[in-house]
Amino acid sequence: MNYVQVGVAMAKSGRTSVKRRDFLKKAAVGAAALAATPRLTEAQPPRGALGCPVAPISPETEFGTPPAMEVLTVDRSGSDFMVDVIKSLGIEYVCANPGSAFRGLHESVINYGGNKGPEFITCCHEESSVAMAHGYAKIEGRPLAVFAHGTVGIQHAAMAIYNAYCDRVPVYIIAGNILDATKRISAAEWVHSVQDAAAMVRDYLKWDDLPLSLPHFAESAVRAYKIAMTPPMMPVLLIADGELQENPIPDDLSLRIPKLALAAPPQGDSGAVAEAARLLVAADNPVIIADRAARTPVGLTRLIELAETLQAPVIDQMWRMNFPSRHPLNQSQRSRELVCNADVILGLECSDFWNALHSFRDQINRTSVPLTKPGVKLISITASDLFSKSNYQDFQRFPQVDLDIAADAEATLPSLTESIRGLLTSDRKSVLQDRGAQFAIARQESLQRARDAAAYAWDASPISTARLCAELWANIKNEDWSLVSFTTFVNRWPQRLWSFDKYHQYIGGHGGAGVGYGAPAAVGAALANRKYGRLSVNIQCDGDLMYAPGVLWTAAHHRIPLLTVMHNNRAYHQEVMQVQIMANRHSRGVDRARIGTAIDDPTVDFTKLSQSMGVHAEGPITDPKDLGPAIRRALDVVKGGEPALIDAYTQPR
Amino acid sequence: MSPSRRFGAGLFQGSPLALFCCAAVALVFPVGNTQNGKHVFETHGCQQCHGNQGEGLSNARTQDFAPRIAPTRLSQAAFAGFVRHPAGKMPSYPSQDVSDSELADLYAFLQSLAPAVKADPSSANARNGEHLYMSYGCYECHGDEGQGSTQTGASRIGPIQIPFAPFVAYVRQPTAQMPPYSAKSVSDAELADIYAFLLTRSTPPAAKSIPLLNQ
Repeated sequence: MNYVQVGVAMAKSGRTSVKRRDFLKKAAVGAAALAATPRLTEAQPPRGALGCPVAPISPETEFGTPPAMEVLTVDRSGSDFMVDVIKSLGIEYVCANPGSAFRGLHESVINYGGNKGPEFITCCHEESSVAMAHGYAKIEGRPLAVFAHGTVGIQHAAMAIYNAYCDRVPVYIIAGNILDATKRISAAEWVHSVQDAAAMVRDYLKWDDLPLSLPHFAESAVRAYKIAMTPPMMPVLLIADGELQENPIPDDLSLRIPKLALAAPPQGDSGAVAEAARLLVAADNPVIIADRAARTPVGLTRLIELAETLQAPVIDQMWRMNFPSRHPLNQSQRSRELVCNADVILGLECSDFWNALHSFRDQINRTSVPLTKPGVKLISITASDLFSKSNYQDFQRFPQVDLDIAADAEATLPSLTESIRGLLTSDRKSVLQDRGAQFAIARQESLQRARDAAAYAWDASPISTARLCAELWANIKNEDWSLVSFTTFVNRWPQRLWSFDKYHQYIGGHGGAGVGYGAPAAVGAALANRKYGRLSVNIQCDGDLMYAPGVLWTAAHHRIPLLTVMHNNRAYHQEVMQVQIMANRHSRGVDRARIGTAIDDPTVDFTKLSQSMGVHAEGPITDPKDLGPAIRRALDVVKGGEPALIDAYTQPR
Repeated sequence: MSPSRRFGAGLFQGSPLALFCCAAVALVFPVGNTQNGKHVFETHGCQQCHGNQGEGLSNARTQDFAPRIAPTRLSQAAFAGFVRHPAGKMPSYPSQDVSDSELADLYAFLQSLAPAVKADPSSANARNGEHLYMSYGCYECHGDEGQGSTQTGASRIGPIQIPFAPFVAYVRQPTAQMPPYSAKSVSDAELADIYAFLLTRSTPPAAKSIPLLNQ
């Protein structure tokens, strides 16, 4: 038998086995009884709450059998089977800050599972765990697992879960909890237990479950994976009860792991796709707006095919690596002009289509005006139409479209492109080729304008964000590189100056604008890139890193190669500007916007911070001429398989 | 050859900075005739959308909106470029409809509508302007050197390319996203200092001469 055996006391009660927490609970009561024994011998027999005599409890009656006779070990617990299930899903890593609520799973991963497939990645904060999973999924296209306490762990993780939810990214979370109140030992286990652990984040989960048995866990685990991976992809959460993790697996329990078959992503209705093709072919000035259009490298290829077939400009909103940055049809730098002149606009997985078509003015009277011409036809293809929740407002303002196709854009592009090809006459093709030639010229002009603009403040100190990005590009362009950070706060200089043409070269952004995403997402993406030998590059905002800098230690500890260059503008700069707007509005104290927003006095020494966690670091670098050599030194470290950080003092944006 | 003017040239007369600054910001524009410009404004229907004084008009029913253009915050070159190749609903005015000379006149007229400024540009102090530029938060959106930012939506203003009066008018009553700086927050004299500082920002070398910008 693998069961923990019990002795005389439990045999008298008619039970033949005791589960782990029964034993521990009684041990605790026994200890309390031991402490009370001297008083009991001197006083009247104690009475219970109803006045009934309560017999004194001695160690003998409590434990009955000497511990030496107990079977205190077990060959296989429920958590081993849970690891079998996790392995069956092909999950490579578990990111977690260790927690007693999942100690069974933790031990099973590292011993029973051999700490490989999944490998345990030690994180210093649950927000980092989930954000690492977020970044990893952006590169790998599938989730890693996150373990967390059902209470404090999920509370820490909440913002990062929200980011992944808004960003339509699959994250696979397993949270420990002890549902049976009689099985909780101490004060800590009580405060770490919760009736409904998923409740606090359910508004931004796609699915969650509380399995009550191991077969139930297996079904729900496979189901959760499938749901997370079906567009629109989102985080899922499973609760792994402590009893289920730690109790022995009964010999007579038949366990099997259901087969995983991922759902084919939904394609657009054929009639609607044909109508979209007709509108696009007939348009004189069609425009494609791509937001989270490409889920995989295939999506990038498919969007190129569509754009080239139609010779239509693409405005890449860059929440994914949608379109090559230097492709002649990439007209992202002319978005306003193109939207204004468009007669048909195709939105692909646009999270905020309305905003792309309007100008909004943030003055006392908030006003908006449409950018589009009257009569413009709007087509939307998005899987977000297939899944909506009410509370959090990430669905953005309602766009009034003419043709709404509730489907996954990447999966729908082949049929759309094929329909367009079927409608193109030779005359029309000729017109489209002429149109494309004009865009090729415009693209070169945009590139030159970007370079001209980058020359301004070229030698400035603090270093301009354009100079920083140009120095980086010079040192990585001949590598197999991957930019694992968001570029909005550096004026999109990478997309304006660099040549992106592979899917893994950019991971997009946070999703929910929850600060603290950047550093751990970069480390998570770098973790995914490691096995491909790619050079991961992170342009890191200082305020973001201050949320949970412990992820630097995670990178060092697990030998995750990552080149980080700080965009250290020494402030929560977006908020500096927000406060400035308010100060100006009230005409009082326009010189005080840095109060509460600046990160100075003292400035943070990111070099020492990084070095303290085992990360190679240099800085602060204030002279732009010193940046290139520092990057090259850091690259040597990264190519050796370690993380490195360069602290650069930069212009605000 | 059309007459020309150098913005900022008068700001530093008698100042040690004069030669340097004027050399650094030798921005040459054709100078238009304001009277002719008024005629162009009226005869080409500009007032139908932008108002009789170029103050801007909006139509709540149609959601049409034409911004204030008197004065315009655009440089003369940008203004001409926009009129020839507008974005949005504004019709294009090719050179056969409005000549380059007429455009210069129109620009002069629009800029002449800027309200009077209580500041003496010749007494402007660029060093104090730099201090004000930083402490009043201009750098936050426009960058330390006035290089502008696509993320903040702030234009490049270093070196500044519009005359002082339109500059002040825009700072007081911005038509776009910029927060307004009232006279209570920043005086005309302080704006003159900031303007002087912006004039001293150097025009960078050509991007083609920077190897890192040709990769």
